[in-house]
Parts: sequence; C-alpha cells; structure tokens
Amino acid sequence: MATQTLTAPKQNQTVEDKAQHLQKLFADAPQYAKAALENVFGELTSFASKSRARVESAGRTGIRQGKVSELTLIAPFAPAGAARLRALLQLRDGSFDDTDLVGTVHDMRFVFLDNDTKLLFATAYDGEWDPYIDDFATKITDQMDVIFSACEGWPGIRSPKVKDWIVKHQITAEGWYVAHPDLTVSETARVKRIGKAVEEFLDKVG
Amino acid sequence: MATQTLSRPQQDRTVDQQIQLLRELYADSPGGKTALENSIPALREQLAGGLRYESAGRVGLRQGKVSELTLIFKFVPGGAKRLRGLLQVLEANFSAEKVTTVHDMRFVFLDNDTKLLFATAYDGDSWDSYLDEFATKIPDELDLLFSELEEFPGFRDPSVKDWIAKYQIPAQSWYVAHPDLTVVEAARQKRVNKAVEEFLDKVG
Repeated sequence: MATQTLTAPKQNQTVEDKAQHLQKLFADAPQYAKAALENVFGELTSFASKSRARVESAGRTGIRQGKVSELTLIAPFAPAGAARLRALLQLRDGSFDDTDLVGTVHDMRFVFLDNDTKLLFATAYDGEWDPYIDDFATKITDQMDVIFSACEGWPGIRSPKVKDWIVKHQITAEGWYVAHPDLTVSETARVKRIGKAVEEFLDKVG
Repeated sequence: MATQTLSRPQQDRTVDQQIQLLRELYADSPGGKTALENSIPALREQLAGGLRYESAGRVGLRQGKVSELTLIFKFVPGGAKRLRGLLQVLEANFSAEKVTTVHDMRFVFLDNDTKLLFATAYDGDSWDSYLDEFATKIPDELDLLFSELEEFPGFRDPSVKDWIAKYQIPAQSWYVAHPDLTVVEAARQKRVNKAVEEFLDKVG
C-alpha cells in the first residue's frame, strides 16, 4: 500500500524496446489476451511514438498528465468512522461549494470498501502535490477534519504530520489518462465565460 | 462489493434534522466533533444552494453531465506484471481519445499486485450507452486492458456488462468542478477560445 516509488516509464527506452518487452510479457498470457495484443499492436506502437502530454510525477506522490494530477488514497476507517462519513456525505448530497472555493479539484469520489472498513478517496486535481495539500489545509481546514477524522490515525489537517499520513495511504496510479491535460479548473471556467461572451456577441451581430 | 443499491440521501429530512443526526454520530469522535461544530455554518450555507447528484443508470453516480465508475477486480496470476508492462508502453496514449466521453481514468494496483482499481469520470446519463460505445469502438483495446482480470468474458460477449456491474462499487459521494461540460463541449470551447484570440490579434 505504502509503496512510494514511482514506476515511471523509462524515458530513454525507445518505443520498439518497450513494445518488445511487452510482447515478452504476453508470451505466457492466455490465448485471447495474446490475440488482443496482436490486434492492437500496430496502433499501440503508432500512438506510443506520437507525443501527447507525457505522464510525469505529480511531486511527492502520484502522477500528472499535462496540468492534471491524480491522487488515490485508501485508508482504514476508525471505529464508527464509516457511519459518520456516510451521514455527512448524505447531508451534503453532492454539494461541495467549499471544494469550489479551493478551485483546483476537477473531480473527486468517496467509495466505501470491504464492508465499510476502508475509504477509497480518488481525485483529479491541478498541479503539484505539495501546494495542492497546502491549499486545502489553508482554505477548508475544518471541512477536511470532519471528512478525514473518519479514518484511522488521521492527525488533523493542522498537524505537521498530516502530509506523512496522506503519503502513507496514497497509492500512485500505474496508468493515468486525462482528456484535456491542458485545462486547469480555472482555465476551464475562463474558457466557458469566453464561449458565452462569443455567443452573446454573435446574437447581437446576427 | 457487488452492492447495487444506491444509498439515497433522505430527501425528506430537514437540514436541522440532518445536522442533529451528524452531531449524534460525531459525538464519540475526538477530532471530528470539534471540526464538525466549526463547519456547521458553512455546511448549512452549502446545503441551501446544493447541487444534487443522481444515479448514472445501472450503477454509479452522476453530477450534471459527468458520471463516475469505480471498479475493483482481481488479477489473474501474472496479470499485474503484464498490465504494468502494457501501461508503461502506453503512457498516456489511450485510444480512449476515440471514444471522447472519458474525462479521466486511472489504473491503480492494490494489495501487492493482486487487485486492480479502475476509476473513471465519463459523460452521459446512461451507464449502458457508455459501455456500448466502448464495446463498439475499441473492443480490441479493451480486451487487452482487461484480459488480465479474473472472469473477464471479453468485450464482444453480451455478459460483459454483468461482469462489470458485479465488480463496480458505487461511490457514496461524487464531485465535479464543471458538471455542465462534456469532453466534447470542452474541446469546442477551446476552439472558440483560440479563434477569439486570433481574432483579437488581428484587430489589435
């Protein structure tokens, strides 16, 4: 769980090297898996050699594509923590104006695992890990404590140990895809405003 | 794991009743109790203008136009090693681009490479049509990505939806910053934005 090493793609390997490595790994895969690999192999190597925004480290943990990073955390619930968090989330019913205030969260989900013994928290956010956490700790301190006090060992957002707690439970993704890696949450808002202004402008002209 | 029932918020409770319920629940949480008290004013305010989420169809939650899908599968023996190799080759180059309904997706390996967590944010009000689109447009790619998982029937097999529903875990809560924007609409807005910049450059 607490593996912090990023199994980053080796940047110096060529696409051919990596493709060959993959074929070797699939040599003892089930027949249909091998067949599936053969079917898409040409396409795979062709878009792997095309440059899209690369996947990089998001800082201390997690990975980032373009401007958007992933954070995935699984932590055991404290006794009765699941019941508390469920009631809180039901009360909120999808309202997270406080998260809007932070302004760097694209999406986030709370999922209860293994008969309410563990919390899975997964989010897509803008930028680097450290400033992202700092932002939460500064802007919505109590809200963070209400949510994460449901978990075992949560030291409190004001504690200097909070980042170590997060790192301990965060699991870096092996694969991460973002449709618009060039758009932050606030840039998306800006782009929407411009789109609206253009429509109004065209209405006036037309 | 396979719970399909969505625990719906109690719509008929007043905010006061809900807050009272929270106070009772948090009464024996040393850290949470104070934090709850401190955030009650903000909570009340939020609830007044609240966005609501709805069901995404068969399983999962949706906010506005964007839905969540969270799956945890078991790897077949050796499966984690192969999928890791595949993902390292792919980096961020998924043919999900062809489907144009995927906002983001992640592959996370759990419990010493014995399980895969797959979590995505996607467009649409229907779980069924989302999966149909994938199965029609990129079945080979999907067969490859999911071939390392236990009981995977293949994306051309009609039982694939039951297999997914079996391993999907609906979120308790789901937040999206721009619930009004699909992936396609965001692309369109980016083009409009670019055109405006070019226009202004010419004018200026």
